[in-house]
Amino acid sequence: MTDPVPAVTITGITKRFGDVTAVDDIDLEIGDGEFFALLGPSGCGKTTTLRMIAGLDFPTMGSLQIFGDEVGTLPPNKRPVNTVFQAYALFPHMNVADNVAFGLKMQKVERAERDRRVAEAVGLVQLGGMESRRPNQLSGGQQQRVALARALVNRPKVLLLDEPLGALDLKLRQEMQLELKALQREVGITFVFVTHDQEEALTMSDRIAVMHEGRLLQVGTPEEIYQRPANRFVADFIGRTNLLEATVASSEEVVLSNGMRVAAASEHPTGTKVAVSLRPEQAFLYRRGAAPAGWPTIDGVLREVTYVGNALVHTVAVDWITIEVRTPYRSTETTPEVGDEVSVSWEPGGVTVVGD
Amino acid sequence: MSVIARGPLPGGRVPRVRQRAGRWSPTRAALGVNAWFVYAFFYAPIALLVVFSFSADRNVGRWGGFTLGWYEDFIRNESVQDAIWVSVRVALLSTVISVVLGTLAALAIERFRFRGRQTFDALLYLPIIIPDVTMAVMMLLFFSEFFDLLNLLFDADLRKGFASITVSHIAFNISFVSVVVRARLAGMDRRLEEAAMDLYASRWKAFRHVTLPQIAPGVAGGALLALTLSLDDVVVTQFAAGPGATTLPVYVFGLIRRGVTPLINSVSVVMLVASIGLVILSLFVQRSRSGSAAGPQGVPAANRARRST
Repeated sequence: MTDPVPAVTITGITKRFGDVTAVDDIDLEIGDGEFFALLGPSGCGKTTTLRMIAGLDFPTMGSLQIFGDEVGTLPPNKRPVNTVFQAYALFPHMNVADNVAFGLKMQKVERAERDRRVAEAVGLVQLGGMESRRPNQLSGGQQQRVALARALVNRPKVLLLDEPLGALDLKLRQEMQLELKALQREVGITFVFVTHDQEEALTMSDRIAVMHEGRLLQVGTPEEIYQRPANRFVADFIGRTNLLEATVASSEEVVLSNGMRVAAASEHPTGTKVAVSLRPEQAFLYRRGAAPAGWPTIDGVLREVTYVGNALVHTVAVDWITIEVRTPYRSTETTPEVGDEVSVSWEPGGVTVVGD
Repeated sequence: MSVIARGPLPGGRVPRVRQRAGRWSPTRAALGVNAWFVYAFFYAPIALLVVFSFSADRNVGRWGGFTLGWYEDFIRNESVQDAIWVSVRVALLSTVISVVLGTLAALAIERFRFRGRQTFDALLYLPIIIPDVTMAVMMLLFFSEFFDLLNLLFDADLRKGFASITVSHIAFNISFVSVVVRARLAGMDRRLEEAAMDLYASRWKAFRHVTLPQIAPGVAGGALLALTLSLDDVVVTQFAAGPGATTLPVYVFGLIRRGVTPLINSVSVVMLVASIGLVILSLFVQRSRSGSAAGPQGVPAANRARRST
């Protein structure tokens, strides 16, 4: 990070609820102005992490700093962060303007200033003219915007978003993804958002932290996470992939479970059980024997072809596993048919070794 | 097309569906008779009561010509008026106090985790479960012993009366209020409070600006329930009351034992009119608020809670 003071610094944070460890000793730095995603399946501790930054839960141990100030045990109303809650949690007995003005009222911002900033925030999320509506008179997308305005009007140093798009339908969600990103660029503050949707995380964020069972597995840009997953779980969770069981033979080579030697760099000691991650779109399908010379090739039988609009997904049965191959769809091309003998091949170095 | 056909036809003919709904059937007839029977069962005694409150005969059940004499008696009778006055004061005071305490108890149990919470929870329901008579005897014992002790210690002269009645009413009303308020609290999204605190509200401000408006219908329902229960109560009051003060229901109960005159009828009619007025008032208040946020859980929830006891 170029900025010397990170927006959020998490050091050795652990959170236990009774016997359950929700967050297990994580370290994380979120830079100023970043769009940062906490990604993982439900129950992985991502929401708990967010709630600890918000002050809605307190860490069992560890240190939590916002722009260098220790806030670990401060109540939520004493922190320079605001939250967009899952399902928004708008106040049902207040209209849009009162919802948005709530934070300013609590901070005793002067009336004129308050009105000006509320109008500005309502305009920012394009809800002008809706000020006197109540939340139950708004659509899901509009409620989402109110929730955003209600948080942003306070000019927080960090905006926290808990599954902000979870309640919207697919089309609206994709629209809002772009809008959120544009909004973040406009206001220029750090956004930390929680999601279980890897596609959403890849699309929107500058960096992603992948969490699983309370632990932080990998932090990196979407590309790093996708191309160089730190382990089997990350490889499998982010996008689709084929995991081929293998053993490390040297720092340059692994041996697949059918005895085939594959060139793939790894830092694991020789003999370690690992998996080779082959992305469906990095794999190529050829008629048996037609694979380019020098490319690693596995023979199999085509079991299934699924048309998914812009691509064909081929399921190929090899000796010990089925491999998914994704090929761009061109209506003019003839492709192998179900039952054909085929070869799955990839460019040397087109796979990643992942450990457990 | 089928959608259009379902509406009223251009010729003004009634759609078929409604014709069918109006057709005679034995089940429908039986249900109709049943409804009338139930209404008669409810309201015939009330009608009789009202009618006989204007009867000139000294016997309660015999018609002796029209008179307003019993109402004059009622107006002149100071002990009846004292009893009414005590009733109203006890009801208002016990309602206010039990609404505050009951709401706090509901909040404590719903919102906080503390040692002994489950025990507290169970104990809170006790006054609803145990029979009135048991509660009454407990109160009698408690006040006798407690006042004796205080009198002995401080050389005072405390007796059962207004204060002891009020305290005993508070004791059972807290439970009812907290049941109603808890129902409302349980239906409220906790994240609303978190959102308020995230938006720089202190705990108290979050309660005042978010929680309280959300549970207000429940609190109002609890208050109405408490008011009604207090105005109605005979058994507990009878035991907790002393020679100094008594409430109207207890006074009427006493009248019956001494020999019934239609004065009772006139007193009852006045009480009836007063409570109908109260109900209309509360409906009016609910109506004027329901435009905003009042949910369906106000008075109906209170009635449900009450009926289940």
